[in-house]
Amino acid sequence: MSKRPPPDPVAVLRGHRASVTDVCFHPSNSILFTGYIYSILFTGSSDGELRIWDTVQHRTVSSAWVHSAAHGVVCVAASPLIGDNKLVSQGRDGTVKYWDIEEGGLSSLIFNFDNRSPSLTIKTNAYHFCKLSLMKKPCACARQAEGPKHYHDMDVKDTVDAEMLNDSSGKAQESLTECSDAAHAEGPKYVAIAGEQSSEVEIWDLNTAERIAQLPQKCLGGSSNYCTKSRGMCMAVQAFLPSESQGFLNILSGYEDGTMVWWDIRNPGIPITSVKFHLEPILSICLDGSCSGGISGAADNKIVIFGLDNPMGSCVVKKEISLERPGISGTSVRSDGKIAATAGWDHRIRIFNYRKGSALAILKYHRATCNAVSFSPDCKLMASSSEDSTVALWELYPP
Amino acid sequence: MGPEIPTPTILVSSSTLVPCHNGRVFIWPYRFMYLGKSFEAIPEEHETDAIDYNEVMSSDDVVLRQGAMKGAQLREIKIAVEGMENGPKRRRRELEPTVLHKVGDVISAINEAKHVDQLICALHSLAVRLFPLDSSAFSGSIDEQYRDQVLRTEVPSSDERSDWWWVFYQGTAFPTLARVLLYEVASNWLACFPISAQKHVYDVFFVEGLATEVVQTLVPCLQHNARDSLRVNTVCLNAERLLVLCLFENDGILQMAREFGSSFQSEDSISERMKPAVSRVAQLMVSIPDKAPLGAPTSLSSHFFFKQIAIQLLAGVEEKSMKLHDEAASLDKNGMDGTFLFVGETFARICRRGSIDVLLGEVIPRILAHIRSCLQSNTDLIDADVFETNPGFLFWSKMMEAIKDPYAVERMSEQILHYLATEQASDTEAYWTLWMLFHQIFYRQKSVRSMFIDKFLLWKVFPLCCLRWILQFAVLECPPGANSLTKGHNTRGLIDTVQHLVTVWSKQEFVQSAPIEQQTYITAAVGISLEKMSKEELDATKEVMHSILRGVSCRLESPDHLVRRMASSVALVFSKVVDPKNPLHLDDSCSGETIDWEFGLVTPDKGIQVASSSTEKGIKEIENSTASVAGKELDSAVDGGAGNNLKDRDKKLSKFRLVDPDEIIDPAMLNDESTSGGSDDDNASDNSESSNDSSLQPYDLSDDDTDLKKKITQVVDVVGALRKSDDADGVERALDVAENLVRASPDELRHLTGDLVRTLVQVRCSDLTIEGEEESAEEKRQKALVALLVTCPFESLDALHKLLYSPNVDVSQRILILDIMTDAAQELADTRTMKPKRQPGALISTISETQPWFLPSSIGPPGAGSWKEMSGTGSLLNLSYSYERELPPKPNQVKRGKTRRWSLRLKNMPESQTEWSQNKFPLYAAAFMLPAMQGFDKRRHGVDLLARDFIVLGKLIYMLGVCMKCASMHPEASALASPLLDMLSSREVCYHKEAYVRRSVLFAASCVLMALHPSYVASALVEGNPELSKGLEWVRTWALNVADTDTDKDCYTMAMTCLQLHAEMALQASRALETSESTFKTKSIGLSSNMLKGEIKIPHPSVQY
Repeated sequence: MSKRPPPDPVAVLRGHRASVTDVCFHPSNSILFTGYIYSILFTGSSDGELRIWDTVQHRTVSSAWVHSAAHGVVCVAASPLIGDNKLVSQGRDGTVKYWDIEEGGLSSLIFNFDNRSPSLTIKTNAYHFCKLSLMKKPCACARQAEGPKHYHDMDVKDTVDAEMLNDSSGKAQESLTECSDAAHAEGPKYVAIAGEQSSEVEIWDLNTAERIAQLPQKCLGGSSNYCTKSRGMCMAVQAFLPSESQGFLNILSGYEDGTMVWWDIRNPGIPITSVKFHLEPILSICLDGSCSGGISGAADNKIVIFGLDNPMGSCVVKKEISLERPGISGTSVRSDGKIAATAGWDHRIRIFNYRKGSALAILKYHRATCNAVSFSPDCKLMASSSEDSTVALWELYPP
Repeated sequence: MGPEIPTPTILVSSSTLVPCHNGRVFIWPYRFMYLGKSFEAIPEEHETDAIDYNEVMSSDDVVLRQGAMKGAQLREIKIAVEGMENGPKRRRRELEPTVLHKVGDVISAINEAKHVDQLICALHSLAVRLFPLDSSAFSGSIDEQYRDQVLRTEVPSSDERSDWWWVFYQGTAFPTLARVLLYEVASNWLACFPISAQKHVYDVFFVEGLATEVVQTLVPCLQHNARDSLRVNTVCLNAERLLVLCLFENDGILQMAREFGSSFQSEDSISERMKPAVSRVAQLMVSIPDKAPLGAPTSLSSHFFFKQIAIQLLAGVEEKSMKLHDEAASLDKNGMDGTFLFVGETFARICRRGSIDVLLGEVIPRILAHIRSCLQSNTDLIDADVFETNPGFLFWSKMMEAIKDPYAVERMSEQILHYLATEQASDTEAYWTLWMLFHQIFYRQKSVRSMFIDKFLLWKVFPLCCLRWILQFAVLECPPGANSLTKGHNTRGLIDTVQHLVTVWSKQEFVQSAPIEQQTYITAAVGISLEKMSKEELDATKEVMHSILRGVSCRLESPDHLVRRMASSVALVFSKVVDPKNPLHLDDSCSGETIDWEFGLVTPDKGIQVASSSTEKGIKEIENSTASVAGKELDSAVDGGAGNNLKDRDKKLSKFRLVDPDEIIDPAMLNDESTSGGSDDDNASDNSESSNDSSLQPYDLSDDDTDLKKKITQVVDVVGALRKSDDADGVERALDVAENLVRASPDELRHLTGDLVRTLVQVRCSDLTIEGEEESAEEKRQKALVALLVTCPFESLDALHKLLYSPNVDVSQRILILDIMTDAAQELADTRTMKPKRQPGALISTISETQPWFLPSSIGPPGAGSWKEMSGTGSLLNLSYSYERELPPKPNQVKRGKTRRWSLRLKNMPESQTEWSQNKFPLYAAAFMLPAMQGFDKRRHGVDLLARDFIVLGKLIYMLGVCMKCASMHPEASALASPLLDMLSSREVCYHKEAYVRRSVLFAASCVLMALHPSYVASALVEGNPELSKGLEWVRTWALNVADTDTDKDCYTMAMTCLQLHAEMALQASRALETSESTFKTKSIGLSSNMLKGEIKIPHPSVQY
């Protein structure tokens, strides 16, 4: 009975004036700059503001209105695969903006948005609820805490993969090859997003701002027309590069009716598999570091931890966790694969043992719906964002 | 009866005694002699008995007590006896003149005696002929010359002696001599008698005599009154002594029983004639304790005396019944033995004298002992034969048969039942006791039957066990089983009784007017007898079912919880009879197997104690009783939420079972291990995971959803949420916050009050909340409404009064409205606002006066003490004076301990600086009361306070009473008193059928009496306010009437307190009048004080309190 009470947040970041829709750590743990170590967190709010936080000092480093106040930011994302100091923001105004974050003058802010304008803007014309997804790559060893060097290795590998992809890809992937050539240092930068037709998933290239693929692909012959319209809107998407797929992009997309579909970009007409674990719209999908499984949250009262079997192309439930109150708007698996977190409509962040699927903690701090949850790459911090316009930082189960 | 009657007695007796001394009383004319005796007897019997006995008995006795008749009877007996035993009887008759002559001699010798020894000799000469005397026993104590004479006396043979004895005692000789002995000798000579002589020649006439005659002679002496008090005293004392001697030391009572037994043995016709004599003797004997003067020996006190009678008679009776049993052949069951007759007669009279408990204290233990021994000897099978054949038991039924007096029978039966209950006799023992005593007369005498079945079931109240016995014996008519009542073959009786009981039970009037004990008793009777009925029997009598349903339904509407429980208990029993598998539980309280038919009611004695409570308590009681009604009324709603809850829980459980890690087989993992050989990483991570797993200890996972509920922060939102009756959650949240929001008294509240009141009254919160929380939801709603009434009285009262008589609300809502008005009135009256008292100091302050100039100024923090001069610090040359004073600690100096003192300021502030202002109620009193009083008696659609919704009426009156109390001593109370009294005094209110309403009226009237300021009452009288004085007078007369006639105990006690209050008020008012009179006189108002005082009648203390 004398169990430890659940911890309180180590810090609460206040500054947003509206619901904080998404939260994302800088892909590298710490940035050494002018003698200071910074740990950077990006957050976006529903009034269009994007903020950059220093998680050591708990201060806002920089702030910018990146999307119109009427539409707001849906998603902010950063990934080693698109490079350090790069940031993608998605607005509900039908655009995805690709930012270069540059170090500013010594005197004031360290990071600045370059001239307050994105380096690239993609007009997707998609107005929906689906957060975009950057690619996720399996890291062989789940120890990412070792530093940027590791990423560099991976980057190299990425390039190789991309070239392999180029070699074996069909006609549809030709543009990809070009892209990868163009941005060789960072590798291909794709972003998966629910499309203009909200039941479709579109893949865009961040370098060229072009749409590369549509899933399902509109088939001219119509013979193998796989239609996802009956599944309703695409609500969540996760792009990843499983090691078995020779670097070809795979997509997991969750739909309004609760089905989850696994696509391989090489075969855009027909998905690898489709499963239905949820009864309500899937709101969030997150894969673990090895990309062999993940966790999905939906509007119903359960969380599903699933496993992906790449060679077999099958998706199975590893664990189904039922909740007292429905609604999981965000999920995240820590990069070491030990714990997973969910952000719930019930104002609570829940922590689970990712392997066993057992509940570890129920964190009560937010006073409104939680929108997103995210782990830092070094696994030490967790950030949660909520409609109450706060971002909470937590230190849980240190790796 | 008139006290004049004894007076002639004295005259006559003294005049008759005077010639005795002249020696001219040798031959006493019969008539004259008996006339004297009859004069003695008649007044005494009248005096003691005419009050107790019914007409028949006393008139009979009067006739029989005529002396002439008595003589005739005795002679007849003698003749009859002679007829049987011819020889000796005739001889005795011939002997009679001789005996009389001898007695005459002795009497004259007594009269002429000059010395005590002469007297002894004379008496001895007679005694020796009657009794076997040992002359030498006392001869030593007398003088020489007389001793010879005594010793010389010839001693007759024993045959001769017994003849003499018979003639002496059965004829007139003994009474004649006894008179001389008891009056003349006792007063003049007895003190001189040597003790041995007294015993042998004086006492012997009484001790050895025929006990019946002796008693008849002795008892009148007890009340001998003459002018000479000393003489009276000696006569009485002597008579007492002799009585104790005869009756107790010599077992005279037993002898009497035997004498009657032997004289009755002959023929029935004689026994018929003998009955009056028997009853007279019994009567005389039983009257002894009454006649014994003050200071008589304790053995003649009624308790001891009756106990002795009982012991001796029972001994005699046992002896007799054994004898009868021995000669069983000759025993005619219908025939009455003299002994039995006498015993029965005596017992009946003891009953009449109210000493039945003493008697039963002897009788019942004997019966119980008999029965117990009998039950032990044949344990397996007990039936009537066992007892019928037992000779020891035969008598008891005979005895009851012998008691002819129906009143005595009833008293006795009642006492037997109570006695058995206190003895805690078992069902079997009690049954056989009743059977033994009553089974014969129960079947033979209709009156006894109806006593058991009607009187004991419908009119009396016995303990519950007695009820069971009565039902078992009189209704079921068979021996009881091991631990329950059993049903005999004769079900007709049961059905009839049930029908009878239920008819009474189901009457509305019975519920309204019968005392609660009676109701409980009859309910228990109905319930217990219903338990014994079968469905077929029930079907056979259609009316029973109908009446039960009617009775149950009219009880369920009662404001009294107990009455409702009675209904539900009977309904439960009834439903069990109709369908044993499907019992009907109207109430949670009786969910057990057995029903408590006593309903936890205290014993009657305790009830009375409680009832005799003081003023305050009486009022408190009604407050409690009335307040409890509403809650109970509303808790009947049952929510279906429980089922859902359970289902949810089940679901959760099953889900949790799913999450068992062992059950899940992961094909992906299997595949991994089988196919991909190079899964070192996975393994490694697995290992690391397992090693690190200990770090993943779960935190406390308990979770509640208190924070998830949306807080309502605006009164408007409360109204909105309450209106959405489909959103139970919202309603609950709104109720949670409603009170606090209202108490905060925001500006917009005044505009929303009406809406809020309406929605709060009309929200069905017990339907919406989950089961188990109805109470709290109701409470919240009530509190919120009270808060509304307190913060915005006028607006909310406006809305409430409209709702109160509107057809859209039901009874429970009306009760709710009245309840909250009551609570709000009390809260308003108790409001205490504290404000600093304004210092009455002068507006222009002069420094010089308040404080000497040399002291430092008193400016400083609040709570600082006054300046005091410091004592010198040692140096003599201290030119500067220094002063000090105490300061309150500064905030940073305050130590933070575990116990914190709040409000430092207040501690230092003297009490006088704050003042309490209280009772805001009078301002709103009229708004509370007047609209509610309008049109309460109108019958509208859905509103019928006077008949159907009497509970609402009671609550309304109660509320008005509380309002009066809250406004007491304020001028508003005086203004509102007369309309309230006017309403109360309307006939249909104050004489309402339901005790509940009457109680409320009494409460309200008492409140009015308390609320009126005496000076106002006085001035109303002076200025001639007829309404008020009329109303107050009405309160008095009406309360008197209630105290006299009301059946309800609570009403009665409350009426008493009301009268008391009225008396107090009248006293206060008259005092106020007296003080004001002088002022009136100076103002030359020509009102006579008599007239003023005439208006209020101060009830005399001797009014039956």
